[in-house]
Amino acid sequence: MIGNDLVDLTLAKTESNWRRKGYLNKIFTIAEQEIILSAAKPDEMVWTFWSMKEAAYKIHNRKTGVRNFAPTKLACWVEFAGNNITGFVRIDEVIYFTETSIFSDYIHTIAGCCFEQLPEIKTSIYEWPNNEFDYKKLGAGCVSHHGRFLALVY
Amino acid sequence: MTNEEIINKLKPIIVTYAPASESLDNLNENSDFIKDLNINSANLVDIVLDVEEEFGITIDNESMEKMLTVKASIDVISAKLQAK
Repeated sequence: MIGNDLVDLTLAKTESNWRRKGYLNKIFTIAEQEIILSAAKPDEMVWTFWSMKEAAYKIHNRKTGVRNFAPTKLACWVEFAGNNITGFVRIDEVIYFTETSIFSDYIHTIAGCCFEQLPEIKTSIYEWPNNEFDYKKLGAGCVSHHGRFLALVY
Repeated sequence: MTNEEIINKLKPIIVTYAPASESLDNLNENSDFIKDLNINSANLVDIVLDVEEEFGITIDNESMEKMLTVKASIDVISAKLQAK
């Protein structure tokens, strides 16, 4: 099972004000908040953690059938390597491995149940809805849509 | 506060974050924020924060976990109001 999540950074800027009082506390662990607040680009860090949580949750939700909104229970660890961030997300006692790519317009995270799975994941990103087509036919392993972008992973 | 009073105060908060749709026009207790109303999951937190302000309550993370539908939100709000 694989997961993915894309954040359109332009839309995120207008749609969410993470600086709002109480916002960070409801979504991020204390450790994540410290990394966000000391980051050179805090916006990118917010959406990196968010997309990691979402990508991992999409696998966990399918695996367990549990549906809830408990973002602080999805704890992220990250390792920086240029524009790519590898890491993992712990949900209860389960670990999901992630890789996040940061671009000027969007942030995209892929997630898998083991680290070896990540290099095998193929990603297709489309401008949306400019190139609208029936993506369901493609049988992607996970779909993420936000703002101007659609991301499919196989 | 009755469920009807709660839903009347809740509606304008939801409308702020939900794109226009038929489901939004037919908003009811069974509406699911993400599946039916197409609300971005990052905005669920905004709904929770707005609810805290509007109703003068604090919603702990455990209660927030359940707030994926209008019905579940009414239950959480009503319990918090009673505990006040």
